[in-house]
Amino acid sequence: MITVNNLVKDFSLNRKQRKELGDEYKNTKTIRAVDDISFECKPGRIYGLLGPNGAGKTTTLRMIATMLKPSSGSINVAGFDTIKQGQNVREQIGFMTGQTALYDRLTPTEMVKYIGDLHGMDKIAFQNRKNKLFDILDMHSFADRRIARLSTGMKQKTSIARTIIHDPQVMVFDEPTSGLDVMTSRAIMDLIRSCREEGKTVIFSTHRMGEVNQVCNDIAIIYKGKLFYNDTLDKFKSEMTQPTFEEEFIYRVGEA
Amino acid sequence: MKFLIIAKKEMIDITRDKRTILMMVAVPLLMVPVLIGSMMKIVSFQAEEASVKQLKVRFVGEEHAPNLYQEFTEMDKVIMLNQIPIDSIQSYIQEGFLDAAVYVNPTYSKDIAGNGQANIQIYFKGTDSFDIARDRIKTVLKASENQIISSRMDRLNLQPNVVKAYEIQYNDVASKQEKFGKLAGGWLPYIFIVFGFMGAMYPAVDLGSGEKERGTLETILSSPATRLDVVMGKFLVIMATAFLTAFLALAGLLIGIQLISEIPPPVLTLINEIFSLKLITLIMTLVLPVSAFFSAVLLGLSIYARSFKEAQSIIAPLNIIIIFPAVIGTLPGIELNSITALIPILNVTLAAKDIIAGVINPFFMTEVYLSLFGFAALALFWCVRAFNKESTIFRN
Repeated sequence: MITVNNLVKDFSLNRKQRKELGDEYKNTKTIRAVDDISFECKPGRIYGLLGPNGAGKTTTLRMIATMLKPSSGSINVAGFDTIKQGQNVREQIGFMTGQTALYDRLTPTEMVKYIGDLHGMDKIAFQNRKNKLFDILDMHSFADRRIARLSTGMKQKTSIARTIIHDPQVMVFDEPTSGLDVMTSRAIMDLIRSCREEGKTVIFSTHRMGEVNQVCNDIAIIYKGKLFYNDTLDKFKSEMTQPTFEEEFIYRVGEA
Repeated sequence: MKFLIIAKKEMIDITRDKRTILMMVAVPLLMVPVLIGSMMKIVSFQAEEASVKQLKVRFVGEEHAPNLYQEFTEMDKVIMLNQIPIDSIQSYIQEGFLDAAVYVNPTYSKDIAGNGQANIQIYFKGTDSFDIARDRIKTVLKASENQIISSRMDRLNLQPNVVKAYEIQYNDVASKQEKFGKLAGGWLPYIFIVFGFMGAMYPAVDLGSGEKERGTLETILSSPATRLDVVMGKFLVIMATAFLTAFLALAGLLIGIQLISEIPPPVLTLINEIFSLKLITLIMTLVLPVSAFFSAVLLGLSIYARSFKEAQSIIAPLNIIIIFPAVIGTLPGIELNSITALIPILNVTLAAKDIIAGVINPFFMTEVYLSLFGFAALALFWCVRAFNKESTIFRN
């Protein structure tokens, strides 16, 4: 379960950044990336966070994963507060982005072991979980090859294995399919679905409307840091005034 | 203990990188001996060339000083080029066709016979290596002058002591080790400081900004490891690499010295006596805090950089800042005192110089260690803060 209450995130701007943002920000010292948002992601459901680039999706997910501290508001992940109990929160989550985010000079086994060790997994538990994941993902043939020499698909499988090696209760996916080909994207979408089937809490940010339609149970639309839609996907579909999902999204963002 | 897991992984990762291994092992172990060997070869080659060189001399006024001219012609490896026109002499020397010219005054014979002073002018080019022309001419003139003085004294029935009131004997109480340490000891820390920095540079860039570039920073930050664990794990590995590189540079230097045939055997014996295991251990205790200081500073800068390239452009100019105090320490007259013992890097050079010379002042040495560990701790504290700062870690 993830509960987000009145979340705000301000970033301070230096002179160079103010200049880059134009006259509007000439005299502002901070910029609000996330503006008073609240939502809840329930176990066994997939929560889709939709929004264009720069809307505040990554900032929100990074706050959930304790990488960034909220300026105000609070987040509770699996019963732990992200500010006061950061380490407990990190023990409960699996975080994945569109980048494979692997160490080229390690092998898939070493990569997964590293993350397992950081999560304090004991030898037997790790071995069992690793064997299970490597079976499902068909990774045994390249398990001891250096990651740099693997194909994109193999790398993506390794990335999936390292994200879920510790069997996290909460999964955070930050645009996990961006820049990936159709085959690799499908593997990620399968992973997201399987996480739901296992009863995990899943939050998933994207700007690909097709993916939302495929897997999400609940959706939120975030734009310029504000949340202006937060309900079930079914309800969103029933309220649609535009012919396609994508057009509806553009229409709603335009209205905001 | 999560920092140990991170350190272990970083060590495996970094030692599989060819560039790091090249920088950490191959360069110090091979480059230092090759550099030292080539330097010695060049110096000995030049000295040999200078000793066998035929000196081209133009003597002006040989008719006024036939005896002196005779002595010049009897010099070893000399060609007298008296056909060169007098007004072209200076330009010939300038262009290197002539090594020196000796001008004797027309009143030479009269001055010498009358117990006076004869004026002799020497023209040479001072920028030439080893000043061989001036030195060899000086030797001939000195011998001639001594002969004249001796005959004058005989003629006047005077003892040599008349013109030599003192017999001064210089008795140096400094040991050979002390002299060697003060003279050459400064260059040794220079080598391990430079190599220690180089050894820390590449891993720091890879383990800091490299994480951002690969996108692995989020992986590690979303793990249960704390930021302190992450910094400490990385810091330990960078420090170990810096320390090892500096140690191997020192080893390379000592191996190199054994292989150079140009070093006279007594000097080689002295060097081998000085560089005992105890001395090397003492020197390495200086290298440890220096490596820690470099590692913390470089890791902090590296994590601030957005990319590998930016990190390299920030860190590369620091080479000069590091070299500057290291070189100052090699200058004569700069000694370890209560102030210089506090200046990082400079204090390492000076302390190592004293260790090699065998003159260790416990008070100053304590100050040096306190200063080095203090600066290393400050740098590490700053580095941890950089890792905790959102604007640094997510600067891009």
